[in-house]
Amino acid sequence: MWQFPWRYPESIALVFGLLVVGSVLQIFAGPFDFTLLLWPVNGIVGAVIVLLSVLLAVKRKNPLVQWLSGVPMAVALIGGLLILGIFMGLTPQLAHIHPGDKSLGTALGFRQMTTSWPFVILYLLLLLSLGTLIARRLFSFRKADYAFYLNHIGLWLLLFASGLGASDMKRYVMYVREGDTEWRVYNADGEALELPIAIRLNDFIMEEYPPQLAVIDRQSGHAQPEQHPEYLQLDEKPVTGKIDAWDLSVEEYIHEAVRNSDSTYRRVAMPGATPAVLIHAKNRHTGKTAQGWVCGGSTAQLLMTLPLDDTYTVVMTRPDPKRFISDIDVFTEDGAQGHTRLEVNKPYRVKHWMIYQYGYDTEAGKLSSYSSMELVYDPWVIAVYVGILLLAAGSVCMLWMGNRRKEESDGDVE
Amino acid sequence: MVTWNEFVWFALPAMLLWIAAGTLVYTKIQRRLIDLLMLAGIAVFVLFIVGMWISLERPPMRTMGETRLWYSFFLSVIGFLTYKNWKYNWLLSFSSLMACVFVCINLFKPEIHSKNLMPALQSIWFVPHVTSYILSYALLGAATIASFIQIKKQSKGLADQKLYQLMDNLVYAGFGFLMLGLLMGCVWAKEAWGHYWSWDPKETWAFITAAAYLMYIHMRLRRWHPTFTLWLLPIAFILLMITWIGVNYLPSAQGSIHVYS
Ligand code: HEM
Repeated sequence: MWQFPWRYPESIALVFGLLVVGSVLQIFAGPFDFTLLLWPVNGIVGAVIVLLSVLLAVKRKNPLVQWLSGVPMAVALIGGLLILGIFMGLTPQLAHIHPGDKSLGTALGFRQMTTSWPFVILYLLLLLSLGTLIARRLFSFRKADYAFYLNHIGLWLLLFASGLGASDMKRYVMYVREGDTEWRVYNADGEALELPIAIRLNDFIMEEYPPQLAVIDRQSGHAQPEQHPEYLQLDEKPVTGKIDAWDLSVEEYIHEAVRNSDSTYRRVAMPGATPAVLIHAKNRHTGKTAQGWVCGGSTAQLLMTLPLDDTYTVVMTRPDPKRFISDIDVFTEDGAQGHTRLEVNKPYRVKHWMIYQYGYDTEAGKLSSYSSMELVYDPWVIAVYVGILLLAAGSVCMLWMGNRRKEESDGDVE
Repeated sequence: MVTWNEFVWFALPAMLLWIAAGTLVYTKIQRRLIDLLMLAGIAVFVLFIVGMWISLERPPMRTMGETRLWYSFFLSVIGFLTYKNWKYNWLLSFSSLMACVFVCINLFKPEIHSKNLMPALQSIWFVPHVTSYILSYALLGAATIASFIQIKKQSKGLADQKLYQLMDNLVYAGFGFLMLGLLMGCVWAKEAWGHYWSWDPKETWAFITAAAYLMYIHMRLRRWHPTFTLWLLPIAFILLMITWIGVNYLPSAQGSIHVYS
């Protein structure tokens, strides 16, 4: 060991040493404070890493530089991050550490791995090693190496912008009642802030899938058969099916139904309407039959079940949401105004903010009187997307050309 | 209407055809016949997938059982194509066998699924994201099988250079699809949840898996420590299985945004 050229033992020793140093720092100094990296600090750190990479690459014949940016170091660093990843993957990650939690895992930062010193140190060294490698290969540029450049530059950019850029990101949740205009938001700690953006919720609209039918034990409430509960998925079209010993057939399904005084249902599209279904049930063993309406109910309407015998009864499950939409107007301080129908997977951009449909009152479902939206400010996102694009192009190269390298000789060919 | 109830009528013929191809390949029988048997099996299986797609009115890619369908499909297709290219008989038998294993899991431990797609999953990224992953799983599965054979050969002191080439190509292609699936997932997550990476348990394990394959890819660039390098593939595949299936059972994943139904 420690005889040039340095390879795996030396690289592993360095990574291990840094993990130890990081753990000691973690125990005595607490987690790494990402707010230290707020712009422009992260920009400066990035510039320093780039500058250092270029300077090191100038000395690319130096064995230390070759070691720092060589294959064994890459493998040791990736391996170190892999091991930290496994700790992170096995320990529930917490947004807030309980002040009374004095366990060793918590002290070592396992419960908030991405802000722990060992993780941050390996991440920074990876940026430097990868940066030096890229600079070194760019000094001896070859067009044939395009796949190498795409993969490594793409990854470097992605890692840099998503990691060092993380501190500049702001995420808030805003709750708006129907008809109200709101500009207060809440951060992850539940503190209220005011933003230069206001949102008016004109309407909250929700569409639901047809629900399912289940047979439950009236005493226990358990769906039947006890071990492997079966459900009958309803549809706009009449369906038939079986649950346990019962053959069920739908005679009429109403997606938006309101109860009549005689306990039947009629189609009315109004707030509080819920799915209702008229079914016929027959027991395959006893021949016993039952017929009647079943309705899941809502905050505005009672539920209705169909008893099959002394023990069992047919019930309707809660419908799953199909889509939910907030019809909103957005106002900014300088008087600009926008209108959109916000939906999951369809965010809306205002200046440097993105607005996302976030949630609603799940208890009330369709009748929710408010909608919540997430407002995200992420100035580094363009760099992240460029990284993703380069890396995706690099992946396509990996796909179609495979490993074209001939077996290297035993010596390190740098 | 094609549903899981009809699965057995497609699954049994498909498995019979695959197994026939995978065993007859060792006899003197005409190669054309092997191809026909294999392709017929694949055709029967595709028929079921298409039928499910139509009757569910959405791509069958959401539940575990549905993704296993694609896994069997891609395993048989990729196994067949690489067998055609590299002329390894064992590749055809192993991928046929693996495809059958996943068919059997669906036969004996089916998961009954609702056809409702939750709003976050209703995105143009859904199909390419999942397809890309399943393709990569199949390729990396094949690479793992090859690695075992190479480990055996290497322990006798004669590593097969042609097999190395096949393994590396499988890993490169598999890793390419893995990264594409991951990156599409990032773009999609940004659109649906406002952030491209939130270290959710499934994402953490995807990171671990990618790291393990990267170690293999880079260690293969030099000839040092060949045994360790070879063992990285089975290890990486175990990590991949944890990412795909195991995460749902980990205590750290309770409340994960990636655990559906
Ligand atoms: C998505 C991520 C990555 C992919 C797909 C990838 C792929 C590759 C490929 C295909 C090669 C060989 C091609 C060539 O040398 O022309 C290579 C070489 C190399 N990569 Fe990566 N890599 C990735 C990430 C990394 C990381 C994180 C490091 C860490 C520093 C790294 C360090 C290296 C080194 C040192 C070489 C050898 C370069 C040389 O011999 O000049 N790579 N990589």
